[in-house]
Amino acid sequence: MEGRCAVETWAEFGFSGSSCTPRLKFGFGTDVFLCTGHDQVYVFSSQERKLTAVIECPGPVTDLVESHDKKFLYVACRSGVYCVGSQFLSSSAQSSPADASSSPAELKMSTEFLAVAEEGVLSLLLVGSVLLTLSQRDTSWILTQYRSSNFEMLRSFSRPLVSAVVHSDTGGTTGMRRRPLLICVHSSAVAAPPSPPSTSSLEATVSVGHLCLEPVLFKLLFGIDAALTKSPVILCGLPDGCLCFLPLRPPATRLKVLHSLEQPVVFVGASRVMEAGPGHAQCLVAVGEQGRVVLIKSDKGGSEGGGNRAVLIEGCVQGPVMCGCVDTKRLYYSTGSDLLVLDLSEVSSERDGNEGDVETSSMAAAALQSPTSLNVCRVVALAEPTCNTAGEVQLLGLSVRGQLQRIILPVGREDARLPKGGGRSVRDLLSAIGDVCERASVLKTAIKSQNQILRHLNQVLNISFLLMAGTNTKEHLPSQEKPIRCRATASWSRLLQRDSLNLTCVLDNSSPYVLERGWTLSIAVFPLSCPPGAGTDSSSTNFSFPFHNLLPGETFEVSLPLAAAGETSFPVTVSCSLVFSLTGLLGEEAENLPGPRSSCVSLPLSTLTVDWLHALQVCAPIGTHRKATSQSYNATDAIQACLRSRRISSGRGETEREQHSASVRVSSELLSDTLMLKGSDLDAQGRSKSAPQNVGLSLLEWLLSDAPGGVTAGRQGDQIALGGSVVRAHDPNGHAVKLTAKEVNVMEESTGKEEPLSTVEVQVESSSMAAVCGLHHALLRRIQTMLQTAPERAASTKRIQSLELRRALQRAERLLQQIRQSRISGAFGVGVSTGQMTQSLLAVYQELRENPLLII
Amino acid sequence: MITSTYFGVVGFDCSHTRRSSGTHVMRLHLGGEFSCYLYASFPFPSPAGIPPIADHTRVELTVVYNACVCSIARSQFSEAELLLTQATERLLQMKGDGSVASDPSEFWRTALKSLGNTALNACVMNLLCLQWAIWLATCQLKTIQGFQDELFSVFEALGVWGAESSVPRSESSDVLLLVMDQRRLIELLKICTFIAQGAERLSEGQSSEALPGLQTASSLPAPRTLIAYTHLLSGSCLAHMSRPQMALQCYRMALETDPRCVCALYRSMLIYRQLGNTQAEIQALRLLHSTLMLPSTTESALAATHLLPPSLLLRSQSLSSLLLVPSALSVLHSLALKCVLHERVSEGVEHYLDLLATLHSEDQHGVHAEGSPLPKLPELYLQAGAALLMARRAADCMALCDEVITTALELLPEKVVLEEQPEEKCEAETRALCAEGGDRVGMLLWVGAAYLLQGHCHTHLRDWKQAVTHYTRCFNLLVKVHFKKRGCQPQIPSTDMVGMQGTDLCILQRLKGLSLAGRGISLTQTDQLREALRDLQLSMQAFPECTGAGLWCGEVLWRLGRRREAVACWEKTWNFTPQSSVQSLSVYLQEPQSGPLLDSTELRRRIQDVGSTVSV
Repeated sequence: MEGRCAVETWAEFGFSGSSCTPRLKFGFGTDVFLCTGHDQVYVFSSQERKLTAVIECPGPVTDLVESHDKKFLYVACRSGVYCVGSQFLSSSAQSSPADASSSPAELKMSTEFLAVAEEGVLSLLLVGSVLLTLSQRDTSWILTQYRSSNFEMLRSFSRPLVSAVVHSDTGGTTGMRRRPLLICVHSSAVAAPPSPPSTSSLEATVSVGHLCLEPVLFKLLFGIDAALTKSPVILCGLPDGCLCFLPLRPPATRLKVLHSLEQPVVFVGASRVMEAGPGHAQCLVAVGEQGRVVLIKSDKGGSEGGGNRAVLIEGCVQGPVMCGCVDTKRLYYSTGSDLLVLDLSEVSSERDGNEGDVETSSMAAAALQSPTSLNVCRVVALAEPTCNTAGEVQLLGLSVRGQLQRIILPVGREDARLPKGGGRSVRDLLSAIGDVCERASVLKTAIKSQNQILRHLNQVLNISFLLMAGTNTKEHLPSQEKPIRCRATASWSRLLQRDSLNLTCVLDNSSPYVLERGWTLSIAVFPLSCPPGAGTDSSSTNFSFPFHNLLPGETFEVSLPLAAAGETSFPVTVSCSLVFSLTGLLGEEAENLPGPRSSCVSLPLSTLTVDWLHALQVCAPIGTHRKATSQSYNATDAIQACLRSRRISSGRGETEREQHSASVRVSSELLSDTLMLKGSDLDAQGRSKSAPQNVGLSLLEWLLSDAPGGVTAGRQGDQIALGGSVVRAHDPNGHAVKLTAKEVNVMEESTGKEEPLSTVEVQVESSSMAAVCGLHHALLRRIQTMLQTAPERAASTKRIQSLELRRALQRAERLLQQIRQSRISGAFGVGVSTGQMTQSLLAVYQELRENPLLII
Repeated sequence: MITSTYFGVVGFDCSHTRRSSGTHVMRLHLGGEFSCYLYASFPFPSPAGIPPIADHTRVELTVVYNACVCSIARSQFSEAELLLTQATERLLQMKGDGSVASDPSEFWRTALKSLGNTALNACVMNLLCLQWAIWLATCQLKTIQGFQDELFSVFEALGVWGAESSVPRSESSDVLLLVMDQRRLIELLKICTFIAQGAERLSEGQSSEALPGLQTASSLPAPRTLIAYTHLLSGSCLAHMSRPQMALQCYRMALETDPRCVCALYRSMLIYRQLGNTQAEIQALRLLHSTLMLPSTTESALAATHLLPPSLLLRSQSLSSLLLVPSALSVLHSLALKCVLHERVSEGVEHYLDLLATLHSEDQHGVHAEGSPLPKLPELYLQAGAALLMARRAADCMALCDEVITTALELLPEKVVLEEQPEEKCEAETRALCAEGGDRVGMLLWVGAAYLLQGHCHTHLRDWKQAVTHYTRCFNLLVKVHFKKRGCQPQIPSTDMVGMQGTDLCILQRLKGLSLAGRGISLTQTDQLREALRDLQLSMQAFPECTGAGLWCGEVLWRLGRRREAVACWEKTWNFTPQSSVQSLSVYLQEPQSGPLLDSTELRRRIQDVGSTVSV
């Protein structure tokens, strides 16, 4: 690890460039405060490595400072300074430690927290019981002191703005508005007094944003008065390049200028330059935006007069400097493209070796020209460096893109740097190479995962195209021929004394692509029409089944409850679709995708219909083995039937119920053609040979078992048990239904010269009107689809039963008339009761059913 | 309280105006409580146009009045003035008076004349009042002077008009509300004019001319603060005319009118100082300090109740300089110093300690940095130390001196060259120069004085050895200062070089003399008479006025048996008339009163003895 700089990203606070300098501060012990120049302040716990609180302010946050007792946090934003107790920030975390991993506490700053209603405060500083704010009014800087207990304004100082520099700054490279710096400087004679009891109180006051300077330098810079009163001194680093100071005691009249950098002041800090001395900072460091570095330190026994003097060492580093921080001996600064370290002891020691002033500055400049790169780019804000137990220096940085990074500097750096000259540079190079390697490997893995995602997306796109092509261009393509399709089997099952119709959907992937993780089979079930009792709510039910990997040729089977007995009305439409969620693939990035679309892609697969025929429970013919095996079933069935009959008879009486019926006639030629065709390619069970003998039987068989529209009626052993051309069954509501298929020869009545046409008549009989209607509808639909697949036959078209057609038309007209009549009478409400009207309508309906037309 | 009903949005059709774009949109912020837009577009028909409706014009002028009051309240005088003149110009054009005078007073005269006795006259007079307020606020007292008669007649007329119209106005439906009652405005303007003029004349030295105006003003109806100002200024005039007792009377009246008029207190203190009434001066200082320490609520209270606070109208430099009061800290310092210098040492010590405590406390309430600055802190410390020593609290004095020494010692130069100052350069300038340029000599002198005080303390405690050590330290420090005459090499300064009192050089020599004298006296106590004699003689060389050194030198000579010399020495010392300017020097530079004393009657007896023996 020697010489390498480990960068660890702790969190991301995505933000694009803001108008103000971002700010990173330690506070409340180990917490880190972040203000990115927007309305939020983030509180990040560096121990738990997570965001603990977000403070929402009414305007862009410019600065924040915590009180010395860590009980309050002062936040400056456009409309004023807000003061919030720390308990608001930690309350949620404390109340539910188990819940600590959940979302951070959110606090909205409202006017009740407003402490100082001064507008446009750019910087804040808390010194003892005095809160200082720095703001800009037109052409001057205003430094105002408030009492922190009741926010009473104590004093205010103004300083004219040096405008020229500011103008050049606004049009400068960064485009960012520099925030002025407010720093409190203490004399270390005050900060480290000999008596222990006073240390504690003073340590409390010396906190973040407070510097401690060696007493001599403090006196030299800020005068003996401030030293005598043990007063802290406020240091302002202004964007116009001025470094001003103001001692708090005795009351000063104005801000005095310490030095002018002639470029926006980016950083002011204090550093211990010489190893000697008991740990006080002996050097004040100021860094300008364009790279000017000024070191101010005391110098003993200069040229003439003797005594201590303050000396200024000025130099330049490669700009622009975005931010900086300083530890005991080194200055860290970021140019935006790299993070650099400057050894301040080197800079100042080279000065010590030489006497002449001219030489000095040039030597210092030379030392400033050789900073060490840490190979960390895009850092825009730095918190104060900390040293962990292992002696590693940790920096906390904020990158341009809002990443909170911990940068650990190598321990061995100092030792490695000791041998100067060539060896050092090789070591540096090696370490730099190491850094680059590490970063490269990180990038490699990132690229790898991105590639993975891209490949995945490619698959998704292929599948999407495949399915979209099916829906868009070739509408007629039957679902059986789609590369990815869904078929279903409806079957009755009995669970907990209840019959229910289950639908088993099978997703068949016959495409060359793999359906990978992220795909979900979504099935929506909705009835074609609602039963009258269900009211208006469209009872659509959605099921989704995520699956992991579906290789080409594999199937995926899911089962879902369709309806319980006596509940749902048929037919039911089942629409299957494949859904792909981008969130699963891209994670949170999916939310940031451009466009208003949701992050899900939904591709319709097929729409299936489960009709009455599917839902029929066929009664096994008596005498087969089924009766013995499922005695209990039948017994309960009988009880159910008995109960049902009792219930009904209580109303009207079963005996009164008439049998309704409807029939459909199909030409047997058509049937034999289509069914044989189907049988040959579908049925490999040997029954295909026997089928031609009895067209009616095979029709029934087809009706009850085949899968028009992809749904098969799954009846365990039922299809074998069709005893004859009569099928008895129960509809879902438990009514008995009889399906009869018989061959009828129809004579062409008009001419009579032709031979009779052989047809098959399928008759539906039931006591339930609904069952008859439903089954009739189902029959017609099936035959309709059959006709679509039937081979074209020129001959059959000639046999149009013209007479029959005419009669049918006349009948239809008469019926229409009848309907109109009843509607008119219904509308006027004359003479006819509602019961009568219903009867008449029923009659019309039945007549309509009894269509003698033949389907050829 | 102003409500927004005062400013309805007033809009007018100006289809036939020459300047149809003359629509003014003003945004007014009043104390953040509300803001409103005024859309005032003024119709002024062309000479041949439709005759104006007087009511409309009145509404317009009222809107202008209200807008201007708000502008003035926000110190936007030029905007307000522009608005005023434009409105009046239009009015004149409407009347057919095309000629507009460029001179403002002439302009207003014509305006008043042309309007005559119409209903609009009152409105124009209102506007004139505002013009007056602007002149006052921008200190154009000359203009007011030239126009004063008209203005006062305006006041008369307005007073009449206001009284007449007050009854029907309340009944009529279209009430034109004003943000500020014109009667109150006039009262305010009147007294403020008198005050401003008085202050101006006073600062020009024409006190006798200022007095009558101020005295008439004091009987006008006005806020207490302003009445107090008139009394105060009258007092200043009288003080200037060297009638201190009458001035004091005026100041007392000012205080009676407004107890918070600290300036009156301060001025009375100055008069007592001038009269040499030290006790009264100290009393006044004490009162002044306690008044200054009260929380200042006067300004804010006034500002809250008035839209146009008097402070807005009284902005002249001369008045503010007359009203200037030093800060509480510097008042406390003068109080402490006065007490110490006038035999109230224990009280003075308490004040010094209060002062130091205030300086050290974080909470510096009521401490304003304006006014005369405090002396540098080491100076204060040394003064306090000297006071403590006078109060026989030697240990405390030593602690204070220690603080000064430890703070400044690191900054002391190895060698200082004091250059001869050209004669014409005044003392203050030198001081300023010192403060800027590191203050190295000053620092050295402070540390020296601190050592000297410590020596005095040890002398007081009769710890002669320590006393000698500290006096020596002081002396060693002082010899680092070299004096450089123009064109000569730097050298150790001698007595004949001392020019003015109070310069660094004078202090240096005094310190040298005192430290040598102190060491000499201490050595005398330990019977090191030769060394003592050397020191005392050197001390007399460096600082001839030092009586202690002279007397003790005689004593040592006496003890050494050199009686004649001793007598000569004593007589010389007594004959030496002390310079009157000792008072101007710092307390700590004065000769200690706490050391071992010589009984003068005993000395006189010895002289007589010697005289008799000689004669015998």
